[in-house]
Amino acid sequence: MKIEAKNLTAQLLHRARGNPPSTLANSAISNCFPGLEFDFRNIWRRLFVGIELHEADNIVVAVDPRSPYKSLLHHRLLKVADQPTIVPVVGPLDGGTGRAVRLTSPPDNPDGVWTLEWSNAMAAIVHKYAGRKTRVRCEFTARKAMNAVGLKTDTKRKVVYLRVRSIFAKNSGGATIPVIDSEAVLPGELTQSLCSPWQNDYRECLCYYWASSRPDYVNVELDDDGVSTGNNWLSLKREPKEYFLNAGSPALITYAGLFREWQSRLRFIIGGRDAD
Amino acid sequence: MAATQTEGGAAGRAASLFEASRPLSPSIHLVAAGTSRLVLVPNGSQVFEVDEDTFGQLDSARLTHDGRAIELFLQNLGVDEPQLVDDSAPLDPPLRALSLAVAQRCNLGCTYCYAQQGSFGDVPKSMPLATALKAVDLLFAETNPGERVNLAFLGGEPLINRGVIRAATEHSQRRADESRTTVTFSITTNGTLVKEEDSDFFEQHGFAVTISLDGGQAEHDKLRPFAGGRGSYQHILGRIAPLLARQHRMQVSARVTVTPVNLDLAGTLDEFIKLGFHSVGFSPMLSSPTGKGELDHRHLALMLDQMVSCGEKFIDKFIAGERYPFTNMVNAMREIHRGTHRPYPCGAGAGYMGVSATGDLSACHRFVGDDSGEMGNIEEGIDRDRQRSWLTDRHVHRQEPCRSCWARYLCGGGCHHEVINRGRPACDYIRGWLHFCLGAYARLSAERPDYFGSTSTTPQTFVP
Repeated sequence: MKIEAKNLTAQLLHRARGNPPSTLANSAISNCFPGLEFDFRNIWRRLFVGIELHEADNIVVAVDPRSPYKSLLHHRLLKVADQPTIVPVVGPLDGGTGRAVRLTSPPDNPDGVWTLEWSNAMAAIVHKYAGRKTRVRCEFTARKAMNAVGLKTDTKRKVVYLRVRSIFAKNSGGATIPVIDSEAVLPGELTQSLCSPWQNDYRECLCYYWASSRPDYVNVELDDDGVSTGNNWLSLKREPKEYFLNAGSPALITYAGLFREWQSRLRFIIGGRDAD
Repeated sequence: MAATQTEGGAAGRAASLFEASRPLSPSIHLVAAGTSRLVLVPNGSQVFEVDEDTFGQLDSARLTHDGRAIELFLQNLGVDEPQLVDDSAPLDPPLRALSLAVAQRCNLGCTYCYAQQGSFGDVPKSMPLATALKAVDLLFAETNPGERVNLAFLGGEPLINRGVIRAATEHSQRRADESRTTVTFSITTNGTLVKEEDSDFFEQHGFAVTISLDGGQAEHDKLRPFAGGRGSYQHILGRIAPLLARQHRMQVSARVTVTPVNLDLAGTLDEFIKLGFHSVGFSPMLSSPTGKGELDHRHLALMLDQMVSCGEKFIDKFIAGERYPFTNMVNAMREIHRGTHRPYPCGAGAGYMGVSATGDLSACHRFVGDDSGEMGNIEEGIDRDRQRSWLTDRHVHRQEPCRSCWARYLCGGGCHHEVINRGRPACDYIRGWLHFCLGAYARLSAERPDYFGSTSTTPQTFVP
C-alpha cells in the first residue's frame, strides 16, 4: 500500500509506518526541551529586565551591574503578579503507606518544591506585560538562597516591580515578527545548555524518550500471538533478544563506553533493524 | 445563460459531481481525479494520495457503510489522530472584527436583498457618529499589542453615510496606533455613490473594497436596478473606474450574487477580470426575504457546472503561470492546502459581530434587526449568555445532516443566516464544488508545487 500526505495537516498528523506516536510534531519532545537543536528554555533567562534567571530554576544567576536590582543576585523569584513560580512536590514515599506526602529532601530542598517550567508559568505574564511599560510585581526571597525555598507564610520576601521583555523582535514598522529578540538571548545561548545525546542522554533517557531522533526498540519480531521480541538499541549483545528498561542494566552500553567510543558502539538502524 | 437554457452536458457534469460527492461516510471521502486517487480525512481535513488498491478497499468499506473497517484501515495507514474538533464551543472568544451598518438605507432596489433595500424591514436610518465611534472603541477594548482587527462598513449602501465611514476609520487608525495593534478596513458597496476622492481615502487606509455586481449589463440591470427601476451598471462602471485604476494598498474585488437569471459565471468572470478587479467571487442566492431570486436544485446544478468551467480555466491559466483571480478557487486551494477544519462556517457571533445603526450587536451583518442573532449592544457590550448559547447551538456537531457529512469541517454547516431562514438547499452543490476542488488541488500541487510552498513529500510504500 502506498500513501502520501498531500496537504499540511496530513503532513503534520500522518504517522509513518513503524514510527511511534512521539514522532509526530504535536507529541514529539525532542524539538523543545532540552532539545537536540536548540534549548528554548534559554529564551526565559532574561525575561525580566535587569536580572538573569536560571533556565530551569527560580534562582537569579546574574544581574545587570547597572541595574537597581543588582542586590537580587542569588535570591529566588517566588511569585510574579501574585502567581507562584514553584509548586509543592507531593507523592507516595518509597516503602511508605501509599499516602501522598510532601516530598522533601534536606538540605537541598527542605521545603519540597519544584520550579515550574517558565514556558508554562510565564505565559500569562508575557501575554499581559511583555514589551510594555507597566512593571509586574515580583516577590523574591529576602535573602540569598542557593537551595530551593518554599512559599511559607513566614518566609520573608523582597518585593520589586520589574519590566518584562518581549520575546519576539519587532520590525521597523513596530510589528512583532517571528524572530527572537536579540536582547532576550545572546549569541550562543540557545545551544549552550543542550544535552549531550551521544555521550550521556541517549543512555539516560530510555523508553521512547528520544524516539523521534534515535532508535529504541529494534530488530523487532512478532510471533503468531502478536507478542514482540527485540533489542534495546543500546544492548551490548543482540542475542538473546530482550528489552531492558533499566538504564543501569549491565546489559547496556555503559556511559564510559559511550563517552569513549560511541562512534563504534552505536549502530545504524535501517528499517527497524541493525544495518550491519 | 439563463436557467431555462439548460444544457444536457451541464446538467450531466453537475449530476456526476453530485453522485461522486454523496455523503457516504463521516470518516473519509474519496476523489478519483485523473490518475490521482485521493482520500480526504475530515478529521483535520487531511488529504492523502493512495494507490489504486488502497482506494478500492476504502471505497468498498465506504459503500457498505462499514465504519469499523474504515477506522482499522486508516489506522493501518498511520492515519489515527484523535478527533481534533470536539463538541465544545469556544468560550467568550475575543472580538476581532465588526461590521457597521452605517446606512440602513439604499439607493438600489435589488430584487433579492436580505437587507430589504438596506432597512432590514424597518424604517431607513443612518448610524450617528457617536455610535460608530463607540463601536470602534468596543472593537479595541480587548486587543493586545501585535493583534489584528478588522473594521467593515456595510449597509444598506454605506457610502450614503460617508462622513461616518471616514471618521470611524480615522478613529480606528488612531486607536490602533495607540494600542500598537493592526487594523484593516473593508467596505462592501454597490458602487453607485463612489466619488473620485474616495479612491484617495481607500488607498490611504488600504481598504478591501468589494463592489456588488451581478454580471454583464443585461443581467446586472435586471437584478440591481436603481430604486426607480433604471439600470445601474454603466453608472457603476463609470464611478468605480478611478478605484480600479488606483489599486496599490487598496484592493477592489467584485462579488456576484448568483440567481436564476445570471448563471453565465464563466463569461462574467472573464469580463470582470478584464475590467481590472483584484479578484472576482460568486455566491449563490439561497435565501431572500421574499423568496425572489433564490436558486433551486436545478439552478444549483447549472451554477456548479459554471463554477467547474471557471475552475478548469483557473487550473489551465495557473499551470501556464498566468494570474486568474477567481476568488472561490483561490480560497478553496488555500483552505484545502492548510487543512482548515472548523466547526463553524465563519466567525459570525464569535470573533465577528454586526452593529446596527442604533448600536445593537448581532451575529453578523445579515442579522441586523433580526432577533435570532441578537448579541447585546455597544453600550453594555457583548451579551455573553446569548453568545454562548449561539456558539453551542450553531456548532456543526449539532447540525443535521452535517454531523455525518464528510464536508462538515470544510463547509462548517453553511451560512447561519441562510440555514436559519431556508434550511440547507445547497448541500449537493457545496459537496460537488469541494469534490472538484480536491481533485484540482491534487493536480495543481503536482504540477505547480511552488504555489503551495515546498509541500512534496516522498511517498511511502509499505505492506501492512
